[in-house]
Amino acid sequence: MASLVDMQNVSHAFGKSRSDLILDKINLSINEHEFVGVVGPSGCGKSALLRIIIGLTKPTDGAVYYRGEKVEDICKGMSMVFQTFALFPWLTVFENIELGLQGKSFSKSEKRARVLKIIEFMGLSGFEEAYPRELSRGMKQRVGLARGLIPDPELILMDEPFSSLDALTATHLREEVLDLWLDPSVAPEAVIMVTHNVEEAVYMADRIVILTSRPGKIAKELEVTLPRPRDLRSNELYKIVDEITGFIA
Amino acid sequence: MLALPRAHVGQMIGLLEVLEDFKGRVDVAKVADDLILELDDLLPAVDAAELLSFIEVDSGDLILKETGREFLSKGPKVRKKLLNKYVANLESFKKIINFIRNQENCEVSKEELLDLLKGEVADFDVESDFSWIIEWGRDSLLLKYDSDNDKIRA
Repeated sequence: MASLVDMQNVSHAFGKSRSDLILDKINLSINEHEFVGVVGPSGCGKSALLRIIIGLTKPTDGAVYYRGEKVEDICKGMSMVFQTFALFPWLTVFENIELGLQGKSFSKSEKRARVLKIIEFMGLSGFEEAYPRELSRGMKQRVGLARGLIPDPELILMDEPFSSLDALTATHLREEVLDLWLDPSVAPEAVIMVTHNVEEAVYMADRIVILTSRPGKIAKELEVTLPRPRDLRSNELYKIVDEITGFIA
Repeated sequence: MLALPRAHVGQMIGLLEVLEDFKGRVDVAKVADDLILELDDLLPAVDAAELLSFIEVDSGDLILKETGREFLSKGPKVRKKLLNKYVANLESFKKIINFIRNQENCEVSKEELLDLLKGEVADFDVESDFSWIIEWGRDSLLLKYDSDNDKIRA
């Protein structure tokens, strides 16, 4: 497996002082065709990790390489999906998604065709002209996902994508994301998802990275080899959840 | 009370998925327990799924019907087609769509629609029911709503 992203000795501190370390010497690779789940207690620097990978935050120490090249700026091959959706309230669903194509040299009509295609794919047809305030949280996150997918990224980074949804909506959207992951026509090369929900991580990911708290250090990595579709309520899955929970607690 | 689905579409689909995980039949209290939800927070999705004939409720058990299974087996595009069919069959939506299609340009204002519904239904909760009508109408591609000028089309 070729690696898509390599984090080498990445440490990060708030401000300039090394005493406020939030990530400590992280060495992590994301491979092609891999869904990686990152779990850990709150305050373990999970979100900072994603921001550093995509190039939104410069690490205090160490470096991130994307296909062998050092990430110095926001990385074009990656998209981020946020916990709180990060939609522009004054733009419609169509316009919010179209933002994902910013900087791409498509003609206006091609942009429109691409936006409409992803709208249909994400089950957002009928909501093209709606504003975020008119949408349920589940629908808002679909817009967030559509905007992340439309530039055709190689890596999607998801920061607690289901944690601000109610349990039923989260159930449904997890299935949608897995369907998407298993559909070669749209799936990115890799996904990295940060979550505090261990069951969710084991249900969805191929590999789990467990971070310790303050500073965040990789405590353990674990392959999840359960066949898909997985059963969230099976003993096999529960055993893995138990093992991980033991590590975090 | 107007017979409307009063849960989000995604919540109803989530419920159908949970029922499928439980092999198509499970006690409603067990679902609430499994999802760590209050029963009261689960019931709107149950009512919506029952109203659209995707599930049956039998002495506290939720039973996934064949129509529900078929719906779950489809991708987003076909699901919308099925929703279109089932939502259009609800008495409430029949009335609304009929009313709109009988207007010039098949278009009414929000005010006109609210007046119709207030006249027909005693306890019509204007703002909340209006947003359920718009959400399900949009999702099933039965209604178009432009909130910039408050026009609804069917």
